[in-house]
Amino acid sequence: MRLSRGFVLFTTSLFAGDLLAGSLEVIVKDDKGRSVSDAVAYVAAGGAASAAPKKQAVVDQRDKQFVPYVMAVQVGTAVSFPNSDNIRHHVYSFSPAKKFELPLYSGVPAEPVVFDKVGFITLGCNIHDWMIAYIAVLPTPYFQVTRQDGRAVLKDLPAGQHTVRVWHPALKGQPEGFAQQVVAGSGTKSLMFTLPLKQDVRAKRAPGLTSGGYR
Amino acid sequence: MHTRVTLNIVLLILLSSFARAEWRFEGETGMVYNSNLSNSDRSADVRDDWAWSSDVGASNALQLTRDLRLNFGADLRGERWDRFGAFNTIGPGATAGLRYRFGLGRQAPWVLLEDRFGYDRFQDTAQSGYDNVFNFQAGIALSDRIALEGGYAFESFVAPNDFYDRQLHRVNANIVFDVTSSLQFTAGYIYREGDVISYAVPPRPDIARFSIEREDEDEFGQPLRTAYKLLGRTNAISVSAAYQLTKYASLQIGYEYAVTVHDPLQYENHIVSANIAVAY
Repeated sequence: MRLSRGFVLFTTSLFAGDLLAGSLEVIVKDDKGRSVSDAVAYVAAGGAASAAPKKQAVVDQRDKQFVPYVMAVQVGTAVSFPNSDNIRHHVYSFSPAKKFELPLYSGVPAEPVVFDKVGFITLGCNIHDWMIAYIAVLPTPYFQVTRQDGRAVLKDLPAGQHTVRVWHPALKGQPEGFAQQVVAGSGTKSLMFTLPLKQDVRAKRAPGLTSGGYR
Repeated sequence: MHTRVTLNIVLLILLSSFARAEWRFEGETGMVYNSNLSNSDRSADVRDDWAWSSDVGASNALQLTRDLRLNFGADLRGERWDRFGAFNTIGPGATAGLRYRFGLGRQAPWVLLEDRFGYDRFQDTAQSGYDNVFNFQAGIALSDRIALEGGYAFESFVAPNDFYDRQLHRVNANIVFDVTSSLQFTAGYIYREGDVISYAVPPRPDIARFSIEREDEDEFGQPLRTAYKLLGRTNAISVSAAYQLTKYASLQIGYEYAVTVHDPLQYENHIVSANIAVAY
């Protein structure tokens, strides 16, 4: 009898959660109306802190580029930086939220890097100056990076009011300036963000007028 | 015995370094136009021409420490002029350089010491010879879009025919501006001081008086001209742009306006170039 009552309580809470959880589609465009990929849509606050971070994430280095270009992780996540090229890379970050350096290496570094502070991290390679990537370290498990069509879906949002923000490497200003409120419940809702973006001036891999990364 | 062990250790280190070395293949082809190929001061003597210019090379970037990189490579360069074939040239070269960067990342200041030694075979074989360029350059990024570069170079050319021996000091300063992720502009200033060869239809007692050497030449056809070797000072400004076509290729165009003086001689060159450059 005790066992069956516990089972009923468990299944009730499970179904209640399902009923209350909702999805949120975030659509990101720039101020010219073009779809923006590689934007991070995330819930700024709201019942997320208790969720445990995903165990490990990976930023690979392939064909002298970081893959992916933009990644989002929950604070506390360990990120490994395998080098899939047959040459050496030297990964570094100057960002206040995580300063680190993985000096010249091939293969997989022995230890992943734990991102234990919320913030936006810029990665670089000291050998190949055009290699650049970003990690958004977030206090929530509810995030997604937009695809080529500028869309991202935040799934299983707990019912209630949430503040949703969007960040992009070229964003003019802070994500707080582009926050929107949404009340999550059953079903899928949709939010549209229009972001002002700075000119993309990433270092070039093709030959430039100086010797660039090979100087 | 001790020497042999040391040599073996050095050899092992070098072999392991080569195994980790990173090769880069580069090529460039396009046209160059020189409004005054003859470096003449009188308009009647001025001869302009354009050439196909190509350069292919392989180089190696060997990171010795976090901040120090050894670059070495080899290349083959050539120019084929449309009208004045005597200036057609082809030749191999080898480059070695050390770059030190004061910190991590592309915005860190850097210095480069580099030397290129090569052979230039001219169609007019009397001009052929060995050239050596010692180059010191330094750069610093002012922001993620703007960088400054500058340096000093010493160029020397040694030919079996001493008349074509030349030495030149060059100082340059450039500003590099990344307009977008695909478009880069530079503007620069160059000062050169050293031997120049100026062609003129004789008689030119005014030039002959202060020329180091002179020879009668037929590179520009009839009438025969006299080539005067002079010590000249050149002030030049340049602008150039590179547009990234693909991940590995870019289109580069450039313009240089140069004024060379050795009182009372003064001549101007307008040099325009357009190239496709690839790197892998």
